[in-house]
Amino acid sequence: MIWTIAWRNIWRNKLRSVIVITALAIGLFAGVFSMGLYQGMAEMRYTSAIKTEVSHIQIFNKTFRENYDIQFSINNSNKIVEKINNIPKVAASSRRLLSECIVSSAHGTSGIKLIGIEPNREKKVTDISEKIIDGNYFEYTSSRIPTIVIGKKLAQKLKLNIGSKLPVQMLDINGDISYKLYKVRGIYESVDTSYEEMNAFVMYAEMQHQLAIDGDIAHQIVLFLKPDIEASEVASALKKEFPTLEILTWKEINKELALLADSMNQYMYIFVLIIMLALCFGIVNTMLMAVLERTRELGMLMAVGMNQLRIFLMIILESVFLCITGGIVGIIIGWVVIKNYETKPLILDIFKGFETYGYSYKIYTKLLFSDILIIGSFVILLGVISAIYPAKKATQLDPAEAIRTI
Amino acid sequence: MIVLQLIDVHKVFDEKTIPVYAVNGVNLTIEEGEFVAIVGPSGSGKTTLLNMIGGLDKPSKGTIVINNVKMNELSSRKRTDFRMNHIGFVFQSYNLIPVLSAKENVEFIMQLQGKPLAEREKRTLELLKAVGLEDKINQRPGKLSGGQQQRVAVARALASKPDFILADEPTANLDSVSAENLLAIMEKLNHEEKMTFIFSTHDARVVKKAHRVITLKDGKILKDEILQ
Repeated sequence: MIWTIAWRNIWRNKLRSVIVITALAIGLFAGVFSMGLYQGMAEMRYTSAIKTEVSHIQIFNKTFRENYDIQFSINNSNKIVEKINNIPKVAASSRRLLSECIVSSAHGTSGIKLIGIEPNREKKVTDISEKIIDGNYFEYTSSRIPTIVIGKKLAQKLKLNIGSKLPVQMLDINGDISYKLYKVRGIYESVDTSYEEMNAFVMYAEMQHQLAIDGDIAHQIVLFLKPDIEASEVASALKKEFPTLEILTWKEINKELALLADSMNQYMYIFVLIIMLALCFGIVNTMLMAVLERTRELGMLMAVGMNQLRIFLMIILESVFLCITGGIVGIIIGWVVIKNYETKPLILDIFKGFETYGYSYKIYTKLLFSDILIIGSFVILLGVISAIYPAKKATQLDPAEAIRTI
Repeated sequence: MIVLQLIDVHKVFDEKTIPVYAVNGVNLTIEEGEFVAIVGPSGSGKTTLLNMIGGLDKPSKGTIVINNVKMNELSSRKRTDFRMNHIGFVFQSYNLIPVLSAKENVEFIMQLQGKPLAEREKRTLELLKAVGLEDKINQRPGKLSGGQQQRVAVARALASKPDFILADEPTANLDSVSAENLLAIMEKLNHEEKMTFIFSTHDARVVKKAHRVITLKDGKILKDEILQ
C-alpha cells in the first residue's frame, strides 16, 4: 500500500506535480534528442570516413609511414590482395599507390595526395564512385590523356571542370621530378571538404608509370569488412599472416574518429546528467514542500506504526514516480522525434560550416534502445537522489510534535 | 487483567534550563475493558501523559508497562512496532490518510502488520460495519463528514487488535450528534468486545459516559474516580 500512497500523493497537488513533470519531460526530451542528434552526427562522421576515406584496415610496408617514402612498398601486392579477399570476414580489399604531389592550374597550385587505384577493386572498398557529382568514375575513354578524379573542393579552388587538364608533378622512384598531364573526368563530393581538397584518384597503371616503378607492388592495401565484424579482430589475424607488414585499424589510423566513436556516448551521458542535476534541485524543492505540508500526516503514520524505513521508502517512491512519469513522457517524445529523423534527415543549416571537419548538415539521428534504458536508469536514480534529503527530514520528525502541527 | 501500569512516571521538559514538570510522579493501573477519561485543565499534563502511554514520548523517570512490556526500555524502532501491534490511536483531528479510501485506511495498519489479504479484507468490512460505515467503504476522507471520518479512525484503531485505544480529545471537532454517535460506538465496542478506551478530554459528554475519570492537575493525579 506504500506504493499506492506514494503514487496518489503525487496527485494531491496536481498543479505542482504537473509543473515538475513538465520540467522533467522537457529536460529528458532535450537530453534524448541531443543524444540522438549527436550520436547520429558522430556515426555519420565515422561511417562516412570509413567508407570514403580510411576503410576498416590499412596495410603498409613497415617503414612507409615514417616519411611516406615511395620506395618502401608492399611486394607481391596483387597476391596479398587475393589472399585477403579469401578471408571470410573481409568484404573486399584493394591495393593503392600513394604519392604526395603538386597540381596546378591557371588559377593556382595545390599540394595533394595522389592515389593510384584499380577502380573495380576500389569500388568495393570505398564509396567515392557513388559520390561523383559531375563526370564519371574511370569509365572507358578513347582519350590518350589519362583520367583524374578530384574532389569538389579542389575543383573549386583551382577552378577546374570536367575536361580540364591538370598537370601533376611528383618525385619518381629515382628521385627525379616527374610531370604528367591528366584530364579531370570526375568530381566527387564527400562530407569532409578537407578530404575533397587533398585527395585525387588516378588509375594504378598510370601512377605506376609516373612513379617509374615496375612490378607487383603497392604502397597501401585497404580492406573493407563485412557488417558487424570488429576491425581489431581481423587485424590481429592479418598481423600473424603478414608479420613483415604494418597493419592498422581505422581507429589506429584516425585517432580523432576513434575518440569520436568511443567517447561520444560518454559525453552525451555527461550532458544528460547535467540536465538531470539541474532538474534535481527542482525535485528536491518539491519533495521538501510535500514533506513539510504533510508533517501531521507523517507524524500520524509514525504514531500508528509506520517505521522510519517505510516512511523513507514512501518519500523516495513518490519522487521516483514523479521522475518516472516526467521521464517517460520526455523519453517517448524524444524517441518518436529521433525515430522520425532516422529515415529522413534533419537539415540544420547552422552546421554547414562543420563540413570542413567531416560533419554533414543533413543529419540522420540515431539512438540505441540500450541508451534509452541507461537514461531510464538515470531517471530512477534522479528520483532516489532527489528524495534522500526530504525523506531523511521526514524520518527525523518527532511523531508527538508532528501530530499537533497545524 | 492489567493492560497498562504507570509507576512513578515523570516528564520534565527543558531539564537543563527552566525545568517544566509536565507529569510529576503519576502512578496508574488500568485493567482490560475499562472506559477511562483523563480530564484536567489545559497544561495539566493530559496530552504528555497520553504521549508517554502511547510510546510517542519517553518518561524522564518512571516506568510504563503495557502487557508486561516496559515501554520506556524499548528502542525507537521497537516502540514503533509495539505501537503498531498493541496500541490503537484516535486523534482529535481524525488524521486519516487523505489519499486512501475508508477501507484502505482501515486495512493499512493490518498491511503494515503483514496480515494476509483475506484476513485484512474480512476484518476491514467487519470494522466498518461496526462503526456504521459499510456503505462508505470506498469514499476517501475528503468525502466524509467529520463524524464519519472519526468513526473510520476508530475502525482503524481497532484494526490491529490493540490492547487498548488511546483517544486524544476524539469529540473535540465534532458536532453534538456526531459526538453522541461516536461515543455510542465506542461504548458498544467497549461493552461487546471488552476493548479498553483511554481518553483525554474536555468534553462533558465523554466524561459522562466514562466508567472511570482521572483528573490531572499540574502533572499529578488529583482524583481517580470510578463512576459506574
